[in-house]
Amino acid sequence: MIKNYFKIAFRNLWRHKSFSLINIIGLAVGMTACFLIFMYVRFELSYDKFNENFDHVYRLNTDIKSPNEVLHWGSASAPMGPALKADYPQVKEFARVFGYSYLIESNNHKFQENNISFADPAIFKIFTLPFVQGNPATALNAPFSIVMTETSAKKYFGNGNAIGKSVLLDGKIPATITGVMKDVPDNSHISFDMLISESTMEKKKMIDPTEWGNFSNYTYLLLDKSADVNKLQAQLPAFLIKHISEDKRRKGYNYDLFLGPLSGVYMDAVRGAPVNGSISNVYIFSVVAIFILVIACINFINLTTARASERAKEVGIRKVIGAAKSQLTKQFLGESIIICIISFLFAVLLSLLFLPMFNQLSGKTISDNVFSHGYILILFFTAIAIGFIAGIYPALVLTSFSITSVLKGRFSNSVKGIVLRRGLVVVQFTVSIVLIVGTIVVYNQLNYMRNQSLGFNKDQMMVLDFSGDSAVETRAESIKYELKQIPGVLSASASSSTPGNGNPIAYTQVEGKSGAMESLNANLYDVDYDFIPQYGIQVLAGRTFSTDYPTDSTKSFVINEATLQNLGYTSPNQAIGKHFLQWGRDGKIIGVIKNFHFASLQQTIKPLALRINPHNTNVFTVKIAGGNIPATIASIQNKWKSLVPERPFSYTFLDENFNKQYKGEETFGMLFLYFAVLAIFISCLGLLGLASYSTLQRTREIGIRKVLGASVPVIVNMLSKEFLQLVLIAALIAFPLAWWGMHTWLQDFAYQINIGWWIFVVAGLLAFMIAITTVSFQAIRAALANPVKSLRSE
Amino acid sequence: MIKITNLEKFYRTEEVETIALNKLSMHVDTGEFVAIMGPSGCGKSTLLNILGMLDDPDEGSYVFNDIEVAHFTERKRADLRKHNIGFVFQSFNLIDELTVFENVELPLIYTGVPSAERVKRVEEVLDKMQIMHRRNHYPQQLSGGQQQRVAIARAVVNKPKLILADEPTGNLDSSNGNDVMELLTDLNEQGTTIIMVTHSEHDARYSHRIIRLLDGQTVMENIMI
Ligand SMILES: Nc1ncnc2c1ncn2[C@@H]1O[C@H](COP(=O)(O)OP(=O)(O)OP(=O)(O)O)[C@@H](O)[C@H]1O
Ligand SMILES: [Mg+2]
Repeated sequence: MIKNYFKIAFRNLWRHKSFSLINIIGLAVGMTACFLIFMYVRFELSYDKFNENFDHVYRLNTDIKSPNEVLHWGSASAPMGPALKADYPQVKEFARVFGYSYLIESNNHKFQENNISFADPAIFKIFTLPFVQGNPATALNAPFSIVMTETSAKKYFGNGNAIGKSVLLDGKIPATITGVMKDVPDNSHISFDMLISESTMEKKKMIDPTEWGNFSNYTYLLLDKSADVNKLQAQLPAFLIKHISEDKRRKGYNYDLFLGPLSGVYMDAVRGAPVNGSISNVYIFSVVAIFILVIACINFINLTTARASERAKEVGIRKVIGAAKSQLTKQFLGESIIICIISFLFAVLLSLLFLPMFNQLSGKTISDNVFSHGYILILFFTAIAIGFIAGIYPALVLTSFSITSVLKGRFSNSVKGIVLRRGLVVVQFTVSIVLIVGTIVVYNQLNYMRNQSLGFNKDQMMVLDFSGDSAVETRAESIKYELKQIPGVLSASASSSTPGNGNPIAYTQVEGKSGAMESLNANLYDVDYDFIPQYGIQVLAGRTFSTDYPTDSTKSFVINEATLQNLGYTSPNQAIGKHFLQWGRDGKIIGVIKNFHFASLQQTIKPLALRINPHNTNVFTVKIAGGNIPATIASIQNKWKSLVPERPFSYTFLDENFNKQYKGEETFGMLFLYFAVLAIFISCLGLLGLASYSTLQRTREIGIRKVLGASVPVIVNMLSKEFLQLVLIAALIAFPLAWWGMHTWLQDFAYQINIGWWIFVVAGLLAFMIAITTVSFQAIRAALANPVKSLRSE
Repeated sequence: MIKITNLEKFYRTEEVETIALNKLSMHVDTGEFVAIMGPSGCGKSTLLNILGMLDDPDEGSYVFNDIEVAHFTERKRADLRKHNIGFVFQSFNLIDELTVFENVELPLIYTGVPSAERVKRVEEVLDKMQIMHRRNHYPQQLSGGQQQRVAIARAVVNKPKLILADEPTGNLDSSNGNDVMELLTDLNEQGTTIIMVTHSEHDARYSHRIIRLLDGQTVMENIMI
């Protein structure tokens, strides 16, 4: 019996090749998209789960409260972890992690390592980070100990033994390799190429382990398996009161602590993480995957039911001969499952083909192999389930025909069936149009962010990174002078950071309107005298830093408009000369600058203070002339090699650097574009099938009409109209949905485009044009056919 | 074998109600060969469909082998049908996607005959119908007469007690038509009851008895000698 089913199923598929092809291509493409997204989603949701203590690890999060705002941070201050362990027995371990970068030298190999962390020894007890060599229990105990990942160790020491070897940090601090660990898995929210013992920082006085107000590190806690997290959480306010004196609290040391479970850290959109995911992207792509699959299933349902009348005769005969309804249902379900299995095979091939590209696009190895994790099995059963779901309705339609009318040839497509098919086409195009609108909005927003005036010069600005190397810092002025001698170099400045690259936020007190000191959290840029003029930042009141005023290097601040507003000043001039206290520096506001975007356009411009501090700079910015840029870069490189031979020459361009912040959005936009194209492609395949079927059925009618004198355009119009109406209806449904969806998406951006009506016009026209092309192709072919042929064939 | 009493069948469309069968009564004994004749639209096919349990009557009684089947469920009718009744149609109604052999095999599959037995029985009947040499051909590759022989082979392969034929010669030329009538007569002589609808007086002469219908009612019965 089964053999007979298969036989007739394959013959049917073969006989109606174009229909089978449309179904199989649509389903295969849909399954591939779904499969890739499934692997992506699974990978995103797998973050940190490799840790054996996954359920018992918490990150210590902080809310920093100032009168005007609350900052939600994922970091904590240095003494908090040790104090928690000392105070509460249920806190079994703590590990603090500080991101850092060093120039590392060994064996004549020299690399700038930007992905280093200082960490407490317990990091290996909290996270599952297996060692290849060395003892995890002791590796990070002593100062100047380094644990490298396998890849890093190989980079410096080849395949030889790394343990006990020494390296130089920033060309002067000797340190020893005490362990080699396996590379940190891709799906870890903490990621580093090497770890240096935390005691190194204390030894080098890089941190003050008693300072409660400096939130410079992440703190992870391992709780006892039996610990009650809520109970511990409830004790944290008392913990802070115990350790931070009343006096300090009054001065602004005003915090709340939270235990954030490890499961939520990677997706924490508010507090962030070193490697940060987006749960809304996971949702969006899951929905997109389901939609694409639904569109492909709709094709199957539509084409099968549209063809029902062709198969009605077979059904009738089988029934007469003795087939029970259930047997026929099984037969048709079998056919749809076979189609899905064939599509599955193609989907596996396509996935193999596109997985590397998808990995590259998403910027990480979501899966190196389609065959791992039983993915294939999941897809296979999904394919069978799709075959079942998509096949059940057509099967019921086909088997419900009354024998007598079918055998009499009285059978015609039911009105209900036609309405349903049209409804499903509307669904397909609604989804497609929503995706088109979404793509346009995403790209527009990206474009807007890239082209928005940032409030500073970003063109032809080269950024030379020296990672705060003090040997360079002390010679900054002479290096700048030498660089400026190069023809093509217009100016040079040094600063702690450049826009888009992050900066510290400092607890700050400023004299308010009432004369009393008010506290706020201000972003901090340490700059030199050339920074503000070189960046072309506009001065609204007062003046910028000048060597003419000796106190500028120790007692002067320049603030931005946002600071002004935060303090409640209405005019820039009011702030000039006001008392300003920040991180031990006590001075006055000498100038107010216009707001410029030092962070991504996703955020509003926050309060910012600039001050002269030649001892905390990390980068030079070099403005170059427009002429022969490669030659200028080559000269700069030569000069750099002679001036700073100990450091690699590494440069970026300011605008590229700034736009790097939108990499996530760019990937998102690109994926969105691809999936929109897929959706419209599969929808059009279905439309093509339906249109060709309906013209096929009307061949005779077309012939008669032509004999009676209808022109080709009249017939094309007649045939295309019914489908184009559906696209129109879809557009009307899609527009409000798309507006709502994209409006919600845009809420993540402080600076956003308006969703203009033109976007809907473009999206609607696009869908319409694609549909017209698809449908009229068939219609024109039918209209041009010789009517004599079609009439004789009856 | 068959006894129907006061059978009625209506077709309702939006505007008109057609009475296809109007209080029709008749009976057919086991082993009979009955022809049903009458003008177009008088209800012959409707009657045959009801006799074949492809359709159910609106009123009246239909006793098949001492069982009242007038209001059987579709499932029960299908079950009774596949074991007892074979059909031959004017338009052959073979499945285009299956070969001659597979078409004939199909009823055996649905009644659950094991594979080896199926091959034996199909070959037997194809032999009898003299189309063995065409067993692997598809219906479109055959002439009308050959197709109808395949259809008859398919109708008899399950050894039904009753064969219902609706204008079996309607699409055939007279020589092929005579061949088909000979086949049906042979079957009848071997004990199969046959009810045949026909427009041809010539074909009707092969039967034992002619039932003439007009407007859904029996108007006359002729016994053939
Ligand atoms: N599905 C239907 N819907 C409406 N009316 C029907 C239907 N089937 C048959 N009829 C009507 O019932 C009557 C009998 O039809 P039937 O097919 O039994 O005639 P017939 O005697 O077989 O005719 P013919 O010799 O032309 O095949 C006719 O008037 C026909 O129009
Ligand atoms: Mg008839």
